[in-house]
Amino acid sequence: MIKYGRLLGTVGAAALAVVGASPAFASGTAAGTVITNTVTVNYQVGGVNQTATGASNSFAVDRKVNMTVAEVGTTTTQVSPGQLAAVTTFTVTNNSNATLDFALAAAQQTGGAGAHSNTDTFDATNVKIYVDTNGNGTYDVGTDLEVAYLDELAADASKTVFVVADMPLGLATNDVAAVTLTATGREGGGTGSQGAALSETNTGITNEIDPNEVDTVFADAAGATDGAGDGAHSAKDDWTVLAAALSVTKLSKVVSDPVNGTSNPKAIPGATIEYCIVVANAAGSATASSVAISDPLPATVTYDGGGVFVDGSVTSGACNTDGSNTGSHAAGVVSGTISSVTAGETKTLRFRATIN
Amino acid sequence: MKKFVIAAASALFATIAAPAAMANGAQPVELQGGVKVDKLVVENGKEKHVYSDPKVVVPGDKLVFTTTYSNTGAEPVRNFVVTNPLPAAVALAPEGAEKQDVSVDGGKSWGKLGMLKVSDAAGQRSAQASDVTHVRWVLPLLAPGARGAVTYNAIVR
Repeated sequence: MIKYGRLLGTVGAAALAVVGASPAFASGTAAGTVITNTVTVNYQVGGVNQTATGASNSFAVDRKVNMTVAEVGTTTTQVSPGQLAAVTTFTVTNNSNATLDFALAAAQQTGGAGAHSNTDTFDATNVKIYVDTNGNGTYDVGTDLEVAYLDELAADASKTVFVVADMPLGLATNDVAAVTLTATGREGGGTGSQGAALSETNTGITNEIDPNEVDTVFADAAGATDGAGDGAHSAKDDWTVLAAALSVTKLSKVVSDPVNGTSNPKAIPGATIEYCIVVANAAGSATASSVAISDPLPATVTYDGGGVFVDGSVTSGACNTDGSNTGSHAAGVVSGTISSVTAGETKTLRFRATIN
Repeated sequence: MKKFVIAAASALFATIAAPAAMANGAQPVELQGGVKVDKLVVENGKEKHVYSDPKVVVPGDKLVFTTTYSNTGAEPVRNFVVTNPLPAAVALAPEGAEKQDVSVDGGKSWGKLGMLKVSDAAGQRSAQASDVTHVRWVLPLLAPGARGAVTYNAIVR
């Protein structure tokens, strides 16, 4: 029991006019807020009105450290092999009843479950953490700043954080790179510098009337890779590769020869050969665009000048005589660019040459 | 459930009272305030309330505020009213709140929680425990030597 300090005499109406409930923040009453329970008693002795007040000893609300790291969205981030600055987005929310700094760390993993019922198979490179400086929720190169910590995040405040990385070349569709963002609470109070590490305290001071004497309690839940009550929280997201899977086949047929004409022609000197380069993209792959083809001709044949037809089609394994004459020939090399090959699509580059 | 000991009178303590107390300006009523943190601990599968000093208190914690009183005078004390504004940082706990004599308007009007209304942006609605601004206890008579305690449960906002 704590002894009341007794105040004698009449208590003004002002003491009773304390209306109100403090605003209901999710994070609760600010750390350091002093709670004092004061009672007023009115009574009569021998018909004479008497008043007394008494207050329990005060104590300060302690600091509850709690934060949430969450992936933005519920799907993986689709990337291409060799893609630079692929972005995954997280939010970091300060659920503490005090302003804190939050150290940020992005960790990759070797194998193991990703964030979306998938399995990690590769590591991204050049992993960096950026904060959404302009607050628009989208990563803006040059505007959103690279950070190692969130500075002075107020109670209930939230920041969007981007983990940005480069994808290696040579990846196949459905390769996955999982990344975990961990935010660890640090002392707030110093703008522009990361505060000291936090630790749980229990000073055992019952009479905590000095707001600076607050204890620290870790109230965070377990995250993707961290435990409950460790002053940190983490969430996982991943990049999933969608690559183009191109296969290239070169077909040739003899169109005519000087002896037989077009009737059962033979590959004899002077015969005309049609070459058809077939580019196929496997079903479920990414669209390949600007597929550049270059075919150095052997010395035994000469381009016939009849045109290099690009974007042609294939029927039953045979090249059709279609496409547009947009390719070129120079110094014994035939080249052309197919604008795009979508998943499951087949396109051709077709030209004719003469056997020397 | 907390018990509200309104008037646990005991004549045994009447002899302690000093008759001259009033003449000295001292009051015949002695008050003591206390606060404990109420933690629900599960032990061997059973829930158990553990009350401890408020060494570490964070939002969401449950508190029990107690005021004990005793009439140390020789005269009977009548119309003994204990008015307790809730500290701004706590809300009345819902458990047992309906039995309490409360105010939701800063002590202007009083009643049981279920009968009080509050106005908010959406219009009038029934008052909830978190709307309570004051709790009050009214005791018609404290005999000399009578002592007791009043208690309310709160949650740190």
